[in-house]
Amino acid sequence: MISPRTLRNLRKELRSSALAKIGIVLVLAMILVAAFAPFIALHNPTNQDLDENTLPPMGFSRTTEETTSEMVNGSLQLTNETVYVNATASHPLGTNSLGQDVYSRAVYGARTSMMVGVLGTVLAAILGVSVGLVAGFYRGRIDDALMRFADVSLAFPSLVLAIALIGLWGRAAVDVPDPFVVFGLVDPVRSALGLPTGMPDSFVLPGTVIVVVGLVNWVWFARIARGEALSIREEEYVKAARALGASDARIIGRHVLPNATTPILVLATIQVAAIILLESSLSFLGFSGTTLSWGFDISQGRGYLSTAWWIATIPGIAIVLAVIGVNLVGDWLRDALDPGIEGEGGV
Amino acid sequence: MSHKDSPDVSRRKFLGFAGAATATAVAGCGGNGGTDTDTDEPGGDGTDEPTDTPSDGTPTERPEPETRDGYLQRANRIAHEQAPWVFLNRQYSVYGKSDDIEWQARADEFIDAYAISPATDSGDDVVINQSQMDSGLDPQDHRATPTDNIVMQAYEKLLDRDREGGIVDSLAEDYSRQEEGLVRFQIRDGVSFHSGDNLTPEDVAYSINRIVDPDTGIASPQQDQLAGVTGAEVVDGERAVDVMSDGLNPIVFSLFASYGPIVNKSWIQSNENSYVNQHMDGTGPFVLETYEQGVQVVFNRNDNYWKEAAEISSLTIESASESSTRVNSLLSDESDIIVNVPPQEVSRVEENDGSSIAAAPSTRVIFSAMRYDVEPFDSPEFRQAVNYAIDLESIVQNVLSTFGDQTAQPTLDGYFGFNEDLDPYPYDPEEAEALVEESGYAGVEVELHTPVGRYLNDVQIAQAVAGYLDDLENVTASVNQRDFQALASEVTDGDIETNPHWYLLGWGNTTFDASQTLIPLLTSDGVLTSWSNEEFDRVVEEAQSMPSEQ
Amino acid sequence: MSYGRFLLKRGLQGIVVVWGVVTIVFMLRFITPGNAVDAVAPLDASPELRERIAEELGLDQPLYVQYLDYLWELLNGDMGYSYISGIEASSMVFSKLPATVELAVASSIIAIGLSIPLGVISATRRHEPADYAATTFSLVGISTPNFWLGIMLILLLSVQFGIFPTSGRAFGFVQAFRITANQGLGAGADAFYQWLRFITLPAVTLGTYFTALITRLTRSGMLEELGQSYVRATRAKGLPESLVRYKHALRNTLIPVITVLGLQLGTLIGGAVITESVFSWPGLGTTLINAINARDWPILQATLVVIGTGFVIVNLVVDAIYAYLDPQVVAE
Repeated sequence: MISPRTLRNLRKELRSSALAKIGIVLVLAMILVAAFAPFIALHNPTNQDLDENTLPPMGFSRTTEETTSEMVNGSLQLTNETVYVNATASHPLGTNSLGQDVYSRAVYGARTSMMVGVLGTVLAAILGVSVGLVAGFYRGRIDDALMRFADVSLAFPSLVLAIALIGLWGRAAVDVPDPFVVFGLVDPVRSALGLPTGMPDSFVLPGTVIVVVGLVNWVWFARIARGEALSIREEEYVKAARALGASDARIIGRHVLPNATTPILVLATIQVAAIILLESSLSFLGFSGTTLSWGFDISQGRGYLSTAWWIATIPGIAIVLAVIGVNLVGDWLRDALDPGIEGEGGV
Repeated sequence: MSHKDSPDVSRRKFLGFAGAATATAVAGCGGNGGTDTDTDEPGGDGTDEPTDTPSDGTPTERPEPETRDGYLQRANRIAHEQAPWVFLNRQYSVYGKSDDIEWQARADEFIDAYAISPATDSGDDVVINQSQMDSGLDPQDHRATPTDNIVMQAYEKLLDRDREGGIVDSLAEDYSRQEEGLVRFQIRDGVSFHSGDNLTPEDVAYSINRIVDPDTGIASPQQDQLAGVTGAEVVDGERAVDVMSDGLNPIVFSLFASYGPIVNKSWIQSNENSYVNQHMDGTGPFVLETYEQGVQVVFNRNDNYWKEAAEISSLTIESASESSTRVNSLLSDESDIIVNVPPQEVSRVEENDGSSIAAAPSTRVIFSAMRYDVEPFDSPEFRQAVNYAIDLESIVQNVLSTFGDQTAQPTLDGYFGFNEDLDPYPYDPEEAEALVEESGYAGVEVELHTPVGRYLNDVQIAQAVAGYLDDLENVTASVNQRDFQALASEVTDGDIETNPHWYLLGWGNTTFDASQTLIPLLTSDGVLTSWSNEEFDRVVEEAQSMPSEQ
Repeated sequence: MSYGRFLLKRGLQGIVVVWGVVTIVFMLRFITPGNAVDAVAPLDASPELRERIAEELGLDQPLYVQYLDYLWELLNGDMGYSYISGIEASSMVFSKLPATVELAVASSIIAIGLSIPLGVISATRRHEPADYAATTFSLVGISTPNFWLGIMLILLLSVQFGIFPTSGRAFGFVQAFRITANQGLGAGADAFYQWLRFITLPAVTLGTYFTALITRLTRSGMLEELGQSYVRATRAKGLPESLVRYKHALRNTLIPVITVLGLQLGTLIGGAVITESVFSWPGLGTTLINAINARDWPILQATLVVIGTGFVIVNLVVDAIYAYLDPQVVAE
């Protein structure tokens, strides 16, 4: 468990490291944005307005040669026209090809990334830690079998296995009602702030993606938990507890698991970063169940790189900032707690 | 047309009632036999009143049509009113073209490499970059334009079309209608396959039977492209093949000008399907050099071609489903022709030194089909509501930057059977919401399946359509982006049950006759159908029993 | 334990893992809702195709017979025929393998070539600008999704400046050799130049994450080693600083780096899948995605088996190198 000494180390490391501070700020910002998206977004992220398509971000203007066509006597005549498009204050980061607000989509995209990152990690941790503790605690055949299975799972790259599983299972998504909207908190606040109302009343949680990223990332947790269990089971106090007749479940729950918390926590942080990247890759490839995702927006913006760079660039920056934040927090935890798991658990 | 001065009476007879379909659609192609309207020929009975009367309960108050054109127009009207589709746009073929070559876009989307001539030295080796690769090289075992664009460089048909869509002869030197359900093709002499075998009437008959008869070779998905054709046989003692049809088959020559590639019987029979899908033995102007499935197909010029050899010496076909990738490959001189330049990239291609745009209205209609047998699309009110919900004008203006025409019916303007009285559904969200209420499906959730990169801005069109529908208070709509091959094979397999409930697709009909859109896509027995309506079926059937006069 | 026995033991373990890999692939069709034919048949499969699939999979047979048949066919290199194009799955997958291997090797070379010097410089010049630059680069590098990096590189280096081709692969490395052999050095040099032009952007895209990761590992490993007492001792003996750094400290740093590399190999292959998709690189990744989209089960199965087996083989090689560098591993 988190001891006073651990807390002291964390504080000390935080004081001395500017990077850790930046990481915490980024992660907190992302959590807040994700949680309060209906208040922070300027528009409903899925509302389209074709007349306002590909507006540039504030501070930029777009000058394009627009070519239109017209049928004249059975053949096409092309007309070139120079169009100046200025940014508008209501779309500070511009709009995409459908006139959706890029900023608001990035805000809601944070929700998808956070939800998948955290829930996927929790699922992977539950699976992995259970397997690892059992393997390490009982050793012998169970250990051999489970660890060989872990080796086999490792032979499939997460992304490859995730694509295969989603391809076979389909892309189920769950509609989760947005509590702020359901309790009627959003519209009054937005009206008071002078923002347009009518935010989405539910949020699409890509269920298959969460399950799949959990299933493909459990191995890292299993390895850590097993290592801890192997070493802790030999400690004197564990032997003593066993001699006193404590059940296996009790020993694992009361002694082994708490001692494994620190490395698992550090690993979990690194895994959140890895899963955010994995989720964005999956939605970029079209294997997600939601369209409100940074990876999806990048894939949509690909066709407009030369005319509207912001559509693919801004969600990309959002991913990089979020992942940097989580990685910095992971570094901070690792440096402060020194769990000795350098470099494990990648994308 | 090369037969302009041929005095073949029976052929003129045919053109009198079938060729008109093509001729009317082809601007500036008049003056040949095809424009004759010989109403004294068998077509004369087209003025008969049909014996069938509308069944009870069909709300048809209009008088029964009298001509094939009239029936087809009526069919289009029924489709408009019952709205089995969300009527979208006529696609324009917008190609990017390098200045290294001279080439003009065709009306029917086929990129005829034989018609390419080099403008500079580097134009001698041409690279075409399209949106998809083939689904195997068997010319009779597919039905998608990307595959056609590859296999039809090496294979040929009995008849062909010129750039504007007019019928010209190819492997058949001559063709004539013998009787109501029988036409005869004279097979050209001195044509050889790439393997060296000579083209025989047996090859032609086998090729046709392999398409229309599931028991000959494969169960070809092109069966309905030769709609009505029941079989072919060699004419004894002549270099000719008879083609039998069920009933009149008014547009049979038009079908053979658009479909029906000819293969080498002995080559097909002596090789495994897997081999036929990776090799080619056609009669066409290009010979397969290397084939890398899903990646690249390389052809060399056929120096033994029965016409003059092609002007370019090699042809490479590659693909990139991402439109920006294609444009970039053109701008960096990696490709000479690219398909589907998106509107937002047109000016980049135009302004770049060394490339330009080649555009033409295509023969392709973009629509999104709503399956009549599943909720909520079993309700005509709901289907109409979807049409009212979308601002088609804005989609054509903003998503397609005017590179498309709005449609109101399955048939394109200029086709035989097009109904000029129908206007696109107006944008009327209130009406749409009211119709959704009326349909009893308020609060429903729907998902539009769309291919990615197959058609001009297909995903963007689909997103706009779903977006407009989602804007209604009482409907939730989203888009499911699909791989084209996967989506197309679900739709083209002849089983409506495997189709998604709502999907965007484009249909290229190069026969310039409404029937080749209406029959496969909308009649109850159509191979790709999403709809079943007795009155519509009846009207189309009437039309197909009549000669194609005007 | 001798080195040879160690290798033998690892090899046997590897075979067990490969057996596990093919077993998991076999089981995939059963962990899908619906019956096994539905799981593997394309959605539009005709009744004939369904029948053929059922027959191929031996679905009327008991499970263990199906499984043994499957293993037997795999041992004979038979992975079925594509449902879409009718092409043999094994020949299709093996024809795509070289492209992916080239990409993975090229990006590994970039990653190792750049990252170890960067990590060493960073560690030995702690708190100097070079260190900050390397640290920032490695932080951003491990945090950037490679598909986005690829798109940005295309935008900048291909579209804006036209230095590299936007996508595709002209020909393989082996073909370039063949051109050299057949058409002489001039044509050969040109072929290799073309090969290099096409592979550069995908390799950089795929390699960036690893460059960043190994830089971090090397830096922290070096810092730790340089603080160890033996380094201080050798320094005190008056050995040249460079010898201390590169001979002793770096060598000890590289051992854990290699372990991590082995563990991260899956990441490399996963990254290759998405990099291939961005650059239309005709390798296993694009094959996998096409197969999934078309539900072309034989191709999907063959791709997974080859990727899994490839992973095991490369890990064996990594283990062998590891054991060679650090004989302690063999002893344990």
